[in-house]
Amino acid sequence: MNVNVDMSVNIGGLSLRAPLLTASGTFGSAREFSELIDLNRLGAVVTKGVSLEPWEGNPAPRIAETSSGMLNSIGLQNAGVESFCVNDLAWLESEAPQVPVIVNVSGHTVEEYVAVIDRLEWEPFIAGYEVNISCPNVDAGGMAFGTSCASAAEVTRACRGSTERPLIVKLSPNVTDIAGIATAVEAEGADAVSLINTLLGMAIDVGTFRPKLARGVGGLSGPAIKPVAVRMVWQVARAVTIPVIGMGGIMTAEDAIEFMLAGATAVAVGTANFVDPTSTVRIVDGMAEFCHARGIERVADLTGAVLA
Amino acid sequence: MTTCGCAHHTPPRVLENVTVVANDRVAQGVGLVTFDSPRIARDIQPGQFVHLRIAQGVDYLLRRPFSIYRAHAGRLEILYQVVGRGTRDLALATPGTEMDMVGPLGCGWRIADSTTHALLVSGGLGAAPLGMLAEELAERGIAVTVAMGAPCGERLVGRDLFERVARRVEIATDDGSCGTAGFVTGVCGEMVAEGGYDAVYTCGPEPMQRIVAAQAAEAEVACQVSLERLMACGIGVCLSCVVETKCGLRRACVDGPVFYAKEVVWDSAHDVTCER
Ligand SMILES: Cc1cc2nc3c(=O)[nH]c(=O)nc-3n(C[C@H](O)[C@H](O)[C@H](O)COP(=O)(O)OP(=O)(O)OC[C@H]3O[C@@H](n4cnc5c(N)ncnc54)[C@H](O)[C@@H]3O)c2cc1C
Ligand SMILES: Cc1cc2nc3c(=O)[nH]c(=O)nc-3n(C[C@H](O)[C@H](O)[C@H](O)COP(=O)(O)O)c2cc1C
Ligand code: FES
Repeated sequence: MNVNVDMSVNIGGLSLRAPLLTASGTFGSAREFSELIDLNRLGAVVTKGVSLEPWEGNPAPRIAETSSGMLNSIGLQNAGVESFCVNDLAWLESEAPQVPVIVNVSGHTVEEYVAVIDRLEWEPFIAGYEVNISCPNVDAGGMAFGTSCASAAEVTRACRGSTERPLIVKLSPNVTDIAGIATAVEAEGADAVSLINTLLGMAIDVGTFRPKLARGVGGLSGPAIKPVAVRMVWQVARAVTIPVIGMGGIMTAEDAIEFMLAGATAVAVGTANFVDPTSTVRIVDGMAEFCHARGIERVADLTGAVLA
Repeated sequence: MTTCGCAHHTPPRVLENVTVVANDRVAQGVGLVTFDSPRIARDIQPGQFVHLRIAQGVDYLLRRPFSIYRAHAGRLEILYQVVGRGTRDLALATPGTEMDMVGPLGCGWRIADSTTHALLVSGGLGAAPLGMLAEELAERGIAVTVAMGAPCGERLVGRDLFERVARRVEIATDDGSCGTAGFVTGVCGEMVAEGGYDAVYTCGPEPMQRIVAAQAAEAEVACQVSLERLMACGIGVCLSCVVETKCGLRRACVDGPVFYAKEVVWDSAHDVTCER
């Protein structure tokens, strides 16, 4: 398509050809989507969460569909950083060499986050990190780090000490003052923040009286959370000077534009990948068309353009 | 060596716009829908499934996974049981309705070259992924025998197809309204013990598949099962559909839904979530 809109954006020194990333945990390491879409159309691929050792995740059932959304309690199941480098990263490097790869990092302790980054620093192909301090599905670590300013700052400081690559910190919506957390991680050297991770939720089967998820509670994603996410992006964008990556329920180009207007520099698409595996490219195209139709020359001009 | 995964080549997946060409009730609570779906129909192998987006603009978002009962002449047939919102909407779809599906997905039934006589054991809607298999086996000149069960005669599905391609079809109904009274596992247990089969294929409620697997193991016949899990993505990225195997957790949507029974670590937790 030939609409002359500059779709590029810059996230903490990383320049992206499109303002759209994949949301961690909803896109694997891109391989599964390579038959269905052209990965080169994406701004960046954000991988599934990677930990130091393999994690088993939580017992099944791990998902429950809810009104306009879904709960998940996957629990960051992954094969560990070593396997990630040998399998996933090697595939990306050989099959999608033009696409920036941002690795989503998880840990139970501050030391584990650092150890994962230390290992990944040996891999030249990686464009940046997204530090997940907001997973509601693990007992130790995860969201616990993202719910207080002090611990969020501590993880950020430690990770910052290990890398000069762009460092994105992923924030939890399960807090009273998300702008305060964002300010704290900015002060410790984060290059960008991404939000929101899933909202802690629950669903109960009234036939069996049991929770629908084996773990009881899980993270809510999808269109149901979009207004909460847009509000939080708006609050955070006013509180920090670093770029904000907005996500939560984006299904269409209009949804993505809404996040940009609220203050996001780029957006990420998650649950929509399950509904329509071509969502990401459809949304990038739609954003370009939207700008073109309105005579907006640079998509970056949308950022924070909401009228007071 | 075993990897509990998919050892054979699977065709590339596509997102295809499909059109309903027929949709009829075939048994109590069960419909058979036929789609015009040339690409997926051409490539899909027995035991694979599709991920169908039944409706848009509704408050349930996810696709629904369905096995393919038959694939021929650019068309796909799906047997479905009405259990919730999605399958209710599917039952209402009239010819001409457009939907889209991702497929072919998953790892289907393995057919060893040495197979001479296969026993297919179907419980209720378990016939869904076994129809295509029965036709494929017959086409390859492999003898097919079927044991099928249902709560009552009104709810038997797939009988016509099985009677057309199988040399013998045994029926069991819980209430005795058709065939032998009792569970299909009773009939199947006797048949497996008689011997003569070199492969057992089964699909149905998970407790039933577990019993069939044990009967086949006892008779030392290789047995494959087709497992259902709740699925979000259907293509291997979300990790919602995990099955515990002797090699660790595997994804039902890419490493399955068909597994060798001896590789599965059975867990009764799934009896509740996936029972219909
Ligand atoms: C690989 C695979 C192949 C399948 N093939 C067929 C088939 O050929 N014919 C057929 O009728 N059904 C099949 N199913 C099950 C079918 O996907 C579900 O019945 C369907 O998704 C229910 O949708 P619904 O909106 O009507 O029900 P919902 O309102 O979503 O749920 C109603 C009930 O169905 C159960 N359910 C929902 N999703 C699944 C699922 N994925 N697996 C098992 N139970 C589920 C729920 O736990 C609940 O008890 C298959 C499932 C899998 C995983
Ligand atoms: C199945 C699933 C797995 C997820 N796994 C991760 C993960 O590993 N790391 C992470 O930071 N976020 C994870 N998330 C959160 C998403 O990246 C995203 O923040 C959230 O789902 C909101 O966006 P959405 O509504 O577009 O899905 C996961 C979400 C889902 C639905
Ligand atoms: S359904 Fe997503 S991994 Fe199987």
